[in-house]
Amino acid sequence: MSVMTNENIPKPLVEKENVPPSEPETTPNRSLIEISNFNFFYGDKQALFNVDMSIKEREVTAFIGPSGCGKSTLLRCINRMNDLIDIARIGSGTISVNGVDIYDERVDTIELRKRVGMVFQKSNPFPKSIYENVVYGLRIQGITRKSVLDETVERCLKGAALWEEVKDRLDTSGLSLSGGQQQRLCIARALAVEPDILLMDEPCSALDPVATAKVEELIHELKNRYTIVIVTHNMQQAARVSDKTAFFYLGELIEMNATDQIFMSPDKEQTEAYISGRFG
Amino acid sequence: METDVPDQENRYDLSTRRKSFLGFTKDDLLKGLFGGNAFVSILVLSLITLFLFKEGAGFFGQYRDSLRLYRLSGLEYVETMRQEQDALSALNRYLNSIRTLQSEKLVDSGMDFMQVKAALRTDEDFYYAFEDLAMPLRDFVLEANDIVGTARDSYVEMLDLKAHRQNLLDAGRDAEAEALKITEVDLALFFNLVKSRESEFLEINRTLEAAIPQLLAEPPVYDDLELNAKMERFQELAAMFLEEVPDFESKVTGWDREQPIGMGNALTSFIFGRDWVTNSSIQDWYGIVPLFTGSLLVALIAMGFAVPLGVGAAIYVNQAASRMEQNIIKPYIEFISAIPSVVIGFFGIAVFGTLVREISNWEALSWISFFPLSERLNGFTAGGLLALMAIPTIFTLAEDALNNVPLSYKEASMAMGSTRLQTIVRIIVPTALSGIISAVLLGFGRVVGETMVVLLCAGNRIEIPRFTEGLGVVFEPVHTMTGIIAQELGEVVHGSIHYRALFVVGLVLFIISLLINYVAQKIVIKFQISRG
Repeated sequence: MSVMTNENIPKPLVEKENVPPSEPETTPNRSLIEISNFNFFYGDKQALFNVDMSIKEREVTAFIGPSGCGKSTLLRCINRMNDLIDIARIGSGTISVNGVDIYDERVDTIELRKRVGMVFQKSNPFPKSIYENVVYGLRIQGITRKSVLDETVERCLKGAALWEEVKDRLDTSGLSLSGGQQQRLCIARALAVEPDILLMDEPCSALDPVATAKVEELIHELKNRYTIVIVTHNMQQAARVSDKTAFFYLGELIEMNATDQIFMSPDKEQTEAYISGRFG
Repeated sequence: METDVPDQENRYDLSTRRKSFLGFTKDDLLKGLFGGNAFVSILVLSLITLFLFKEGAGFFGQYRDSLRLYRLSGLEYVETMRQEQDALSALNRYLNSIRTLQSEKLVDSGMDFMQVKAALRTDEDFYYAFEDLAMPLRDFVLEANDIVGTARDSYVEMLDLKAHRQNLLDAGRDAEAEALKITEVDLALFFNLVKSRESEFLEINRTLEAAIPQLLAEPPVYDDLELNAKMERFQELAAMFLEEVPDFESKVTGWDREQPIGMGNALTSFIFGRDWVTNSSIQDWYGIVPLFTGSLLVALIAMGFAVPLGVGAAIYVNQAASRMEQNIIKPYIEFISAIPSVVIGFFGIAVFGTLVREISNWEALSWISFFPLSERLNGFTAGGLLALMAIPTIFTLAEDALNNVPLSYKEASMAMGSTRLQTIVRIIVPTALSGIISAVLLGFGRVVGETMVVLLCAGNRIEIPRFTEGLGVVFEPVHTMTGIIAQELGEVVHGSIHYRALFVVGLVLFIISLLINYVAQKIVIKFQISRG
């Protein structure tokens, strides 16, 4: 069954030839994303300086820092969305996901992005029905079996805690939902392709407190199955949802540690100045 | 200290300090200038509309009168007989073509002139007998037409004279008016003259019905297969003619001179009329169908080229091209619209039309049934060049529509692992579809309204394209609504029925353009992408 193949057996990220696989680790929180000595440029302007970090599996990692500090840029490097920008380029360093260098020339970004999903700052459902929004990721993979699609819609909408609210109007436009619902629809859409990693770029910045609470609750639930990286301006949010927090300033990673540690007793002075609200 | 007090007061003197000119401030003048511009453009537009309607409105009344005269004078009655005569002449022409072919074949076989003449003589009787058969009908129709034609002409002359006399009377030149001698023309009198000889027409038909089968019973037989096949075809045609004779006859006998002609007839005769005949000695016809279908055909051909090219280029430039390619392609396509249409038309005549005909002569293409082409200028030539004029419109507007698709849609789609192509096909084009459709509609409007290229390149044959011919129809010469106005308006008598007919054609064009623009706007508004 081609459907089963598509669903269950992940295609290798590297198509032509196998990159040496990472040594199998069985510890629950092994490192999934490794960023080492990463430098990144927009044209002549350097946006990231020598970033080193490792992101653990099934944890929520929050990126915080003032505007323009490079946190979104780094996030978008993890699924190579920056490839869409003409002037963006990498200076040096690597990012590897599950042991595979994603900037290796043999890596197919299409396959990468199926494993590293993304939710954007502004909710951006397609101008299609709720149903079509969710199954979009399957449709582009050529899956047309109604049963598979139906099952995915229910599973993902439940996964995004939206099912109860929309199950009777799956045919209405995704744009007819409220802001918070639209954002959860986008999360459901990202879940449909069964990623391992979910990148969230300020997912709550356009939402009211009630909708924000719902999305945060959802992040808590998703943590059990997905590795989540979230960029946020809201330090309380970082404190509430994340296990690890990374603080960026002017393109540099200043400090990364367990969230409690960062908020209670940061090592660096800059971090403390930022989280206590003295600048930023 | 005392000087400070008036200053304080002055600060709160809030009356205006701006200079005014005749009671108007600078702001008022600027507002007046811009408002005036807007007002003038609206005024001009409504004046144009008004003018079109005013000049066109008289048409239907005049056309009704003309059709009425056509009936009352009996021209319509004789026209049916003429049609029968035409059918018979066509038969004779076919017969002659057989004879010509036969003589050619004989010459080819090496005979000299005298031998050919002798060989042809054997079947002479058949040919001459058939030709003679056509004579009585021809003479009769000629005579009848003479009578009703004279009647109509003198009636028109009488009307002119009456109008002239009225003018003189109005001008107070009574003496001159009295001197005008006007003879009343009684159309019925002339018509009855013809009608009373209807039995002669029927008599001729009887003769034909008796003589033709007699002749066909002993057709000439040739040694040549092709000639025999042609002769067989001739027999079929003759049989068909005989079957038609009763139809002509019942039309003639059943024709009712008293049947009234109203505005409705004039209107339907214009809208559904299949003939556009002007300056005819018998009757002018103003039917818009051949022009309308011509315009439509040319526009469709043009859109067949322009839509894929324009939309395709827009998608490429907007989604796939590098910045450098964009900087080259966009200005170049937009530059096309700067070429004067007469230059494009000239290019069409000098280069494109010739090229199309050359290509149609290629041996490799001879399997196409309608190739090689005989006409250099046809709907295809005009349509291909019109496409050039529509492409910039379609390209620019479609590109705008694609640009309006939020980048976040593209990002969302790409982030889910879709390819560039999938994103374009499934997200970007569907989202921009309303804008693309309206771009296409506006391009269509541009093409329908274009004049110079069709006038120069469409071939200008006033006939309904034969859509039954299949794809070959695109290579037929056609005439268009815009072309006919440009071609004929300069030569018509001001205020004549022909002049007014052209205005009505202009009115139809105007309405079509208005409709297209309206629909395009509606589509854009209705399906505008909501950005939530």
